[in-house]
Amino acid sequence: MMSKALIPLAVSAIVFFCLAMSFAQEDHARLDNYVFEKPAMPPALFDHDAHNEKAGIDDCAICHHVIENGKLSEFETSEDRPCVECHGLSPSAENAIALRRAYHLRCKGCHLDRESGPIMCGGCHSRGV
Amino acid sequence: MHELYMIVSGPMMWATCVVFSGGVIYQLGRLLRLLLRKERSLLSYMSLRYSLRSIAHWIIPFGTLNMRRNPLITLVSFSFHICLLIVPVFLTAHVVLWEEAWNISWSCLPGPVADGITLVVPAACIFFAWRRLRRPEVRFVSDPADFMFLVLVALPFLSGFYCCRHWPGYEVVMIVHIVSGQALLVSLPFTRLAHMILVWFTRSYMGSEFGAVRHARDY
Ligand code: HEC
Ligand code: HEC
Ligand code: HEC
Ligand code: HEC
Repeated sequence: MMSKALIPLAVSAIVFFCLAMSFAQEDHARLDNYVFEKPAMPPALFDHDAHNEKAGIDDCAICHHVIENGKLSEFETSEDRPCVECHGLSPSAENAIALRRAYHLRCKGCHLDRESGPIMCGGCHSRGV
Repeated sequence: MHELYMIVSGPMMWATCVVFSGGVIYQLGRLLRLLLRKERSLLSYMSLRYSLRSIAHWIIPFGTLNMRRNPLITLVSFSFHICLLIVPVFLTAHVVLWEEAWNISWSCLPGPVADGITLVVPAACIFFAWRRLRRPEVRFVSDPADFMFLVLVALPFLSGFYCCRHWPGYEVVMIVHIVSGQALLVSLPFTRLAHMILVWFTRSYMGSEFGAVRHARDY
């Protein structure tokens, strides 16, 4: 008797847990991928301020750089301009580093350098599992 | 995980490329040497036309009599080989890695299509194993290594599928994926998998012998 009564209880507990987990997943901030025409992947996990705090990055120019004559500008930053403004979607002679590559070099590159932070597709483009 | 990933995707990948291309060159050199030493007479009747005729018939599904007689194995075998070559080259994840490293890129398979045809490879491996066990004429020429090769071929595809789904523990499976792919590439030129390189010469020789000498078809 007892064990039969426990089944619905257990089932609803599991359902509740899964729902709670899936809503908890929704909380993760992701980097908007609207500029990509038909995104092949879920948008990358990236909680801007929390990420930079946790990683101890306070120089905005590491990501929001301005490059003049092939050199990183020491004073200027570009946080008022999205990456896509300078890194177009498809590579060409004028657009040496296309957007997707710019992101991967920047994000994964640093994670590899610092041996910390995700480096495999699923670490950033998490399917929320 | 970072350190392991860097070793596996860095020095080990380079070593794989060196061994693989060295192996291919070695096989071609060995073939050429054997030809010049022992079968010089072959050169007198090797024919480009009959070579290409033979290759064309053998590369087209149901292009030979034997293939038409055994439609099931033809179907499985062609699906297997096509998927085996297409998936690694046109998979989004691989294209993205080429782009990252070398700034070159090309078009990718849509996700669901890639998922589906990835599984064709291990499925075909199961079929081949079953056939090796069941059909006496194939069992007779099978040894344990043949089954090992089927596992070796299936492994990168199964582990890759697992990683693509981001299933739990996929980081470790990713290392298995990369290493098993490298094992496959390294063993390719030196084992019976070398038929990838040699088959073109086999066909060329058979095509010429049948076409130019026997005036018959080899398909
Ligand atoms: C690790 C890389 C990184 C660092 C460091 C970083 N950002 Fe960003 N930031 C981004 C990315 C990526 C975006 C999205 C850009 C896009 O959409 O093209 C962004 C967007 C922004 C935006 C636009 C937000 C919006 O909603 O449109 C602002 C403002 C900004 N960052 C400010 C800063 C400031 C200020 C700093 C330094 C304290 C900083 N960022 C450091 C990566 C970074
Ligand atoms: C104001 C224009 C501009 C903006 C905005 C911009 N970039 Fe760049 N970026 C450049 C230029 C110019 C280069 C140099 C390209 C070259 O070498 O041909 C560059 C180079 C790069 C490189 C390769 C060199 C390096 O520094 O490692 C990466 C990676 C990169 N950008 C990522 C990003 C990301 C990510 C963003 C958005 C957070 C971004 N960029 C925003 C102009 C910009
Ligand atoms: C300058 C270095 C640097 C850059 C650039 C950078 N990251 Fe990170 N990232 C880190 C470090 C360090 C960590 C590990 C932080 C920790 O867990 O202590 C991290 C962690 C993460 C995590 C895991 C966060 C968590 O809570 O566990 C994600 C996701 C991530 N980064 C995404 C990105 C994306 C997307 C970009 C590019 C827009 C990016 N990162 C660019 C250094 C960087
Ligand atoms: C360190 C984080 C990180 C890793 C690891 C990473 N990416 Fe990305 N990727 C990004 C960011 C950031 C963008 C641009 C914004 C977005 O998609 O949210 C992006 C964009 C893309 C895009 C273009 C947008 C789309 O969905 O079509 C593709 C495709 C992509 N990544 C595939 C991959 C693949 C495949 C891997 C593994 C080989 C991978 N990425 C690994 C961060 C990452």
